[in-house]
Amino acid sequence: MKKRGLGVGCMFYGIGFGFSRQDISAATIEICEDGSVIVRSGEVDYGQGSDTIFCQMVGEELGIPYDSIQLITADTFTTPNAGPTTASRVTYVTGNAMVKAARAVKETMQSVAEDILGEGDLVFMDGEIRSEYPDKRISFRDLAKTCHARGVQIVETAWQDITTKDVDPETGQGDAYATYGWASQLAEVEVDTETGRVEVLRIIAAHDVGKAINPSNVEGQIEGGVLQGMGYALTEEIVQEGGYLKTGSLGDYMMPTSMDTPRIDSHIVEVADPDGPYGAKGVGEPALIPTAPAILNAICDALDIRVTELPANPENIKRLILEKGKEEEAS
Amino acid sequence: MQNYQFHGPRTVGEALNILSERGDGCRIIAGGTDLIPALRNEDILPDSVLNILEIDELTGISEEGDTIRIGPTTTFTEIIQSQVIKRSLPLLVEAASSVGGPTIRNRGTIGGNICNGSPAADVLPAVVALDGELELQSKALGTRIIPAAEAVEAPYQTRFNRDELLTGILIKKLPSETRYAFEKLASRNAMARAYMNISIVLKLDEKGAFSDLRIVPGTLEAVARRMSAAEKILMGRQPEDSLVEEAADAFVGDLAGVWIPDYKLPVARSVFKRVLKRALNGSGVE
Amino acid sequence: MAGKEDKVLLRMKVNGEEAEVAVKPTWTLLRVLREELGFTGTKKGCEQGDCGACTVIMDGKAVNACLVLALQAESKEIETIEGLGTADALHPLQKSFIEHGAVQCGFCTPGMLMSAEALLRENRKPSLEEIKIGISGNLCRCTGYTKIIKAIESVSQKNREALTPFRGQ
Ligand SMILES: Cc1cc2nc3c(=O)[nH]c(=O)nc-3n(C[C@H](O)[C@H](O)[C@H](O)COP(=O)(O)OP(=O)(O)OC[C@H]3O[C@@H](n4cnc5c(N)ncnc54)[C@H](O)[C@@H]3O)c2cc1C
Ligand code: FES
Ligand code: FES
Repeated sequence: MKKRGLGVGCMFYGIGFGFSRQDISAATIEICEDGSVIVRSGEVDYGQGSDTIFCQMVGEELGIPYDSIQLITADTFTTPNAGPTTASRVTYVTGNAMVKAARAVKETMQSVAEDILGEGDLVFMDGEIRSEYPDKRISFRDLAKTCHARGVQIVETAWQDITTKDVDPETGQGDAYATYGWASQLAEVEVDTETGRVEVLRIIAAHDVGKAINPSNVEGQIEGGVLQGMGYALTEEIVQEGGYLKTGSLGDYMMPTSMDTPRIDSHIVEVADPDGPYGAKGVGEPALIPTAPAILNAICDALDIRVTELPANPENIKRLILEKGKEEEAS
Repeated sequence: MQNYQFHGPRTVGEALNILSERGDGCRIIAGGTDLIPALRNEDILPDSVLNILEIDELTGISEEGDTIRIGPTTTFTEIIQSQVIKRSLPLLVEAASSVGGPTIRNRGTIGGNICNGSPAADVLPAVVALDGELELQSKALGTRIIPAAEAVEAPYQTRFNRDELLTGILIKKLPSETRYAFEKLASRNAMARAYMNISIVLKLDEKGAFSDLRIVPGTLEAVARRMSAAEKILMGRQPEDSLVEEAADAFVGDLAGVWIPDYKLPVARSVFKRVLKRALNGSGVE
Repeated sequence: MAGKEDKVLLRMKVNGEEAEVAVKPTWTLLRVLREELGFTGTKKGCEQGDCGACTVIMDGKAVNACLVLALQAESKEIETIEGLGTADALHPLQKSFIEHGAVQCGFCTPGMLMSAEALLRENRKPSLEEIKIGISGNLCRCTGYTKIIKAIESVSQKNREALTPFRGQ
């Protein structure tokens, strides 16, 4: 028989290292004489898209196209230490370093521009620095050139430190993290009671990311996280025997394939964080945290069986179904 | 990988010569989807490897009277896309479609699936359920034909001689109104080793009683075979629910040496019934 | 133990150009493509057919380059990701992958693209299900496949529109 069930998983998750562990990041921005912009940071993009959003942030501040920015990352020879890509911290910590450095550069450039144009209230947009008068404007490139000619420093490094206080050692109370991500996911599953196989039909995922700097990237993080969470819930297992790994290949360690992918509806919730860059927080790990609980709750809804051990693979689900049958017979 | 000599003959004759000269140290390679991982892991250490993919005689699907001849190096993709197979042996299409993913099906061959002798093979049991026969050739014995059911002696061990080459898989076209069903159970929907697969081919007479029936599970026992106990119970009788239950008990009772029996035995019982019902409800071949 | 004398000459076409390489019989096509010919766009993942990162097109079919012995590629036509498009002239699938955010770490991407390309050549307008099947041998740890499937679907949709006969007046 096939039984369907719905389940919800909710979570909140600390962004960054928390608990007084040092959490610092940095970025350097240099405006060259020809107006090109070089951004350096030790932060590594291993697929989560941080390179893109860094360029978006710097481009936003300086009013230049994001794809005109040269980014040098993760090079210990030239980039300031930004800490690792972990703890869902990159957007939040390094993003802030980017914005700070960009604003510092902009401030210097703005004062030179005010001097040239003889106007205040300047805006940086579309590659120009504009006043309220159409004839009083200067291109970003010309301004950069002038700054260099005048010997004005337009290289800035910004540090962002989100190290928090530790919690009270006696009571365990306190605010351990700089900020928190929040999420709820709903899973719809179909369980084959004869084989114990669980098929995930649909996941609806709502994530408070503060501000989605790049909504498509955020969706990508959510969709990827959901499938990782699904694998964690249903099939992925590291098996050891006598200290030897028995699941050392991708033919033994069962990750979901394209054929296992459910429909995923992502909902981006934006409750701006007062300290995040443009209000942004992290989404990397939060994306996968509620998935397994949502799926297990859905299984419980379908079978009235609570799974307490992962993975909920066919063998384990079938065992629980048989045990429940026996118990019901006995009582 | 241990070094070996590579042979790439163009004809069966050349291949048989090499096999007879090289004997035990020679391994045949077709799609290589089983053999290359085995070479890489040094599970086998041949001194020569014989590629049979360039032998035109060994590939393709042809009709010879009421028999369909499938060349051993015919890939799963070719089987799935063949109109002849679709029409006359649709069970084989289902079994072949369940193998790995597209790249594995583009390379993996039906002959390799049979000759590898894996307990987890998905297509070999279907060939047995279709009462397939295997044509073997060697210099020593010439040509001989054996039932596919007798091909595998023990896991990864065939009854072929070392110098023998599988040169054809011969399957009689299913008589009209023959029904069939195949199901593979695995933990994910692609690229998965089966917990089990079950192939069933059956025919009912005008009274609705089983007049022909072959039930072959894969991955349950070390070697795929027909489940004669269950077949005996059903043959000549009509598929009533109580009889199906009885057959399901016999099916499970007949199984020996099943891995993870706590899971597989009760599940095999349900899947057997399901596949049987699907076969009974199916429309059958024309 | 094996010296140069153990090598055998292999001739094949790679991305339309003749390639001649001395190879050891134990080498796979993957090793030859990456290490002898420098086509490192073809990724080496599991080396046993499980991941699809090494997918190339051989005589029109998507195959795992790790599961082809180099000498089995004799006289074959191989297409790798390097032959699909260039940075200046992206292939429609590559464009679509970028537009749909279908690339994260990128390790699966070359293989995905080659599988998708092989699929679209056989079936210009695959359905959603056919797309899922078409890339089911390519594992992706990052994207959850959703955007990859959408990227391929969008190319399929464009092909569909292009094939629709014009019903003007
Ligand atoms: C990732 C992956 C997934 C897979 N998934 C499945 C699956 O879902 N289901 C399944 O059943 N299999 C699966 N397989 C196994 C494999 O693809 C099949 O068994 C395939 O049919 C083997 O065919 P081949 O041509 O590649 O054989 P090869 O590897 O070339 O040969 C296999 C064996 O058969 C022998 N041999 C081959 N042809 C002949 C011949 N004509 N005469 C005598 N001996 C011969 C070889 O010497 C070797 O011992 C999978 C393999 C991989 C790598
Ligand atoms: S490297 Fe070839 S499939 Fe993984
Ligand atoms: S994008 Fe990272 S594995 Fe697919």
